Amino acid sequence: MAEKTIIITRFDPDRDEKPRKQEYPVPCDDSWKVRDAVNFIKDEIDPTISYRWSCRMAVCGSCGMMVNGEPKLTCKVALSDYGDRVDIEPLANFPIVRDLVIELDGFMHKFESVKPWIIRAKEKAEDKASRHPEKGTFNQSAEELLNFKQFSMCINCMLCYSACPVVANEPDFLGPAAIALGHRYNLDSRDEGTEERLEIFRGEGTVFSCSYANECSEVCPKNVDPAAAINQAKFSAVIDWAKGLVLPRGDTQ
Amino acid sequence: MAGPAHPDAMAPPKPGRTRTAPPQMPASWWGSKGIRTYLLFDATGIIYFLVAFLAIRFVKALGAGPEAWNAAMESLENPIYIAFHILALVSVIFVAVRFFRLFPKAQPPTMGPLKPPPAAVIHGMLYVVWLGITALMTAILAGVLF
Repeated sequence: MAEKTIIITRFDPDRDEKPRKQEYPVPCDDSWKVRDAVNFIKDEIDPTISYRWSCRMAVCGSCGMMVNGEPKLTCKVALSDYGDRVDIEPLANFPIVRDLVIELDGFMHKFESVKPWIIRAKEKAEDKASRHPEKGTFNQSAEELLNFKQFSMCINCMLCYSACPVVANEPDFLGPAAIALGHRYNLDSRDEGTEERLEIFRGEGTVFSCSYANECSEVCPKNVDPAAAINQAKFSAVIDWAKGLVLPRGDTQ
Repeated sequence: MAGPAHPDAMAPPKPGRTRTAPPQMPASWWGSKGIRTYLLFDATGIIYFLVAFLAIRFVKALGAGPEAWNAAMESLENPIYIAFHILALVSVIFVAVRFFRLFPKAQPPTMGPLKPPPAAVIHGMLYVVWLGITALMTAILAGVLF
């Protein structure tokens, strides 16, 4: 048991002009994760602090925060890895709603814009009843699954957005997680929406805005490697564009 | 935090009802080795920009005749030019090594029935091609081949 000073960013939109810091002396257990210290403050010292958390096991992606200036899943990083003073801030590059809570709508909008679902051209042309299971399922081999499995492990924790220098400076940039997810569906053998997504990827603020700083992959707690996805998507977008010059494009609508 | 990010970074498509504090860039921005490497990588563009001017100067000298060309070549013995070329060489090596390091994972998982070789093989191929082209160019410039 050692006492640490936990510094929390506070922001009350009704009272504060801008975010401020508040220090809390916390008797920390050696086994604690960073989020345990925040929970202790909330439970024992100051019930007014706001933050998101849920699963405690790096699955839900809710508790992403800046810890000593680096984006971390606070349920995953040990408090003992830090010194006597631990600075906890809301995720960088996001508007701050309150204390450690960030605005998520911008992220959700970007996420949705890459059409992160399986698109089947045939189904669209047929009656909805054709989606019934008796009409057959889309089988997928283990090898086909491996093509995209890595990119499907994203938990939407948004650490990659906090680390990305392009997100910080280009508001229209779709960002690492959204592009990785779109690419994940492009690699899915059951999906037929690649052309639609590559059309999106060729637009402004998408894959070609990425300057491959690779920071998104460095901070990813699930080893998704979004930088790889973005740069593979660049390659696919260029090949698809070149094919479009010589071959007529099919209609997936 | 290091300072303000773009005020519209990760902004919602429609403003919410609650006032929000503007987004900030991470404090680790300058401390991160990856970011510093990336900025250095981008900064090498300045050197290539200057190299382009040098190349234009030499093309002009070539068009102006043998005397102008010889004078331009002699000017390269100036220590400033030598230092600049050493800097250009270091930056080319730096850019190539970083590019080669990141290149394998940018490969698509499959191209039709083909899969890319392991990263070590791609690295090996890139370095062999790089060294091969360097050797070939050295031989040509030294007058060994032509």
